[in-house]
Amino acid sequence: MNSRLSSSICAAILTVSLTAPPAWAHHGWGGNSEEEFELSGTVDTGVSLAGPHATMKLKAADGKVWDLTLAPPAATQRAGLKEGIIPVGAPVTIHGHRNMDPKRLEVKTERVTWNGRTFNVYPDRK
Amino acid sequence: MAWLQGSALGHAMRESGVWTYGVVNLVHILGVAALFGALLVLDLRLLGVWRKIALAAISEPTVPVATIAFFVAAASGVCLLATKATEYVGNPFLYIKFPAIALGLLNVAALNSLAAWRQHKTRELTAGEQSKLAVVGGISLFSWLTAVTAGRMIGYW
Repeated sequence: MNSRLSSSICAAILTVSLTAPPAWAHHGWGGNSEEEFELSGTVDTGVSLAGPHATMKLKAADGKVWDLTLAPPAATQRAGLKEGIIPVGAPVTIHGHRNMDPKRLEVKTERVTWNGRTFNVYPDRK
Repeated sequence: MAWLQGSALGHAMRESGVWTYGVVNLVHILGVAALFGALLVLDLRLLGVWRKIALAAISEPTVPVATIAFFVAAASGVCLLATKATEYVGNPFLYIKFPAIALGLLNVAALNSLAAWRQHKTRELTAGEQSKLAVVGGISLFSWLTAVTAGRMIGYW
């Protein structure tokens, strides 16, 4: 392969990666509903800062347990949402986008509000 | 999967700081990159590209790099999987990735059983033998490209 062709290919790859929609930087929001979603309940399983995304579980008023997918561990921690901050059983309200599949009780969570404090784990998303 | 998640490895991955997963993920990517890069060069040569370069001159650096890289990728991959193993149950890309890896490894075994491969460093190969090696190279590219593609897609499911 001649060097001019190689450099053109490299330039093309670089251009595509630099101009790609920023959403690609996330592990897709594509599998989640566009609609804003809010849910209140009590903490069933506290925050876990394990990768690739921090998680917690929320029990809704009807007793159903929801899986909450938060930001990556370091970003979730930067938002102040560390393990053990919100006690199990505490009432919380969360905001995000639920899974496209209505049978899956999973929310990609942008904000968690507890006791007057809001943890905004995706500060660049509304 | 539940056993893997509950293992000491799973606990260690979850409880050793917010950067652990990212660093292990980096090791996995480096392993995959070295594995795929090395075998891409070797497979293309088996398929007939760069015929002017002796096969032995290409297999000498690529085979050990690919072998070590495979073990780096496999070990780091088990760590990543152990973190939240049960979450991957039902992820279709996992069921594409692992059979593709199995096919790739069977293909390696097949390659090692070929006289043409075992003797390529000591003698010229016949046209028939080169065609056999080209088939192996084609299957290799297909299986590893499938494994890498499905692997990348696991996180987007």
